[in-house]
Amino acid sequence: MIQLFHVTKYYEGCLALSDISLRIEKGECVLLTGPSGAGKTSLLKLIFGAEHPDDGQILVQNRNIARLRRADIPYHRRTMGFVLQDFKLLPHRTVFENVALPLIIRGLSSFESRRKVIEALRAVGMEHKQTTHASVLSAGEQQRVCIARAIVNSPIILLADEPTGNLDPQLTTEIAELFKAINARGTTVMMATHNRQVVEQLNGRVLRLDCGHLLSDQRAYG
Amino acid sequence: MKRLWYFVREAYMSLRTHQVSTVIGIITTAFTLTSFGTFLLLYHNVHNLIGRVQTNIQIIVYPKDVIEPQQLQDLQKAIQDDPAIDSLTFISKKDALKDFKQQFPDEAYLLDGLGTSPFPASLVLNLAKTIPSTDLVSNLVNRLQQNPNVEKVRYNRDWIERLTLVITYMEVGALIVGGVLALASITIIANTVQLAFYTRQEEIEILRLIGGTNLFISIPYLIEGAVIGGLGGGMALALLRGGFEFFKHKTHTLSVIGGFSSVFEFFPFSLSLLLITGGILLGCLGTFTSMYGWMRFRL
Repeated sequence: MIQLFHVTKYYEGCLALSDISLRIEKGECVLLTGPSGAGKTSLLKLIFGAEHPDDGQILVQNRNIARLRRADIPYHRRTMGFVLQDFKLLPHRTVFENVALPLIIRGLSSFESRRKVIEALRAVGMEHKQTTHASVLSAGEQQRVCIARAIVNSPIILLADEPTGNLDPQLTTEIAELFKAINARGTTVMMATHNRQVVEQLNGRVLRLDCGHLLSDQRAYG
Repeated sequence: MKRLWYFVREAYMSLRTHQVSTVIGIITTAFTLTSFGTFLLLYHNVHNLIGRVQTNIQIIVYPKDVIEPQQLQDLQKAIQDDPAIDSLTFISKKDALKDFKQQFPDEAYLLDGLGTSPFPASLVLNLAKTIPSTDLVSNLVNRLQQNPNVEKVRYNRDWIERLTLVITYMEVGALIVGGVLALASITIIANTVQLAFYTRQEEIEILRLIGGTNLFISIPYLIEGAVIGGLGGGMALALLRGGFEFFKHKTHTLSVIGGFSSVFEFFPFSLSLLLITGGILLGCLGTFTSMYGWMRFRL
């Protein structure tokens, strides 16, 4: 599903990732942990195609991301979902409009879009708020809508960068449960987090990074 | 269909959100297109005026004094077949005398003692209804002069040369003024759109995040630029029409150009449409230049 071969990345001369090699199988739940500046976000950005590696190769579904043409990157992104700490929702649009956006980009019919949006909102428990503007939602609700937008396209891979960073412990538990449910349906989940509670709750494969080096790779128990 | 609705709605929302910059964009586009349109209108009317004056340009061919009727017929036929000639009138020696007597009845007695008409026969040629070029007329005159049955050819060389020069200057002027104003218009629209771009940067980032292509992201902005340009073009057309009618009304009573006021005319429909289309194209071009710079290096 995802393979990294000796990937190295620098930002303005500073090392962000150093000689990272790993293989992630379909349906795995991978948690990237480590302190701030460890390289968690950089790794996700490389897989997402938002950055190019300075060295090494990245294969996502047997496609070499490093060699992807600029024009092909949006199509690569459509095969995966991305959840961010700061939600990135359009504040003046309704919940429905926010979630429907990836489907409009794909050019789906209104009927099909509606069906998929309702399905995604139901999965995150936000079906009843579809006509509410995103700006009036609570942080937990906004993150749920963000997850709904990420899964509405039925992606094979779901990437998340500190999705519980802005949430209290109660909401963190709820959001972690959502990721667990999404992973249980066969979607590969790759999440950057330094929240111990989330790591324990998801009980996935833990990759520990520090200063751009992969320190450990712990497989999930049972 | 859903996509099209999305593009139109996004463009409309952006225009509504950035009302001030939109109005500034429309006004500045209208101003630049009005300036260009004024020049175009002037050019159009001078061109028309010259076209009318040109019908009065005549070339007079004097055949040899002693010429057989068949040779004269051949000469007339050769001239009539020339595409640069619109019409030909033959004035015989007798007709020339008659014309003189009609035009100068007081001096007619001077010719009473002469048996035959002292005036030569002539062929008066009117040029075809295209704007004459110096080369075209010179070539024609050279050809006529080389004809063995022609004694002399007379035409107003200076007048034609000046006419040609005026047209050339106006064409070059139109190109320069049009180019400069178009560039100004593109810059203004590019800045207007860039402003909208900056205020919606986060939204654009979100669209990129969920797989929006550059084209998908750009289309609402292209529509926005086209609307600004189109409305600017429409406003320019209205200003030009109003200004033109006002000018025509005011000059009607002036003796200097009063005689010409009936000749003045506004753009035909095709040129009016061209002005609005030009506005739309400028708007799209402005948006494109603004976005190309912004998106070029982004993944």
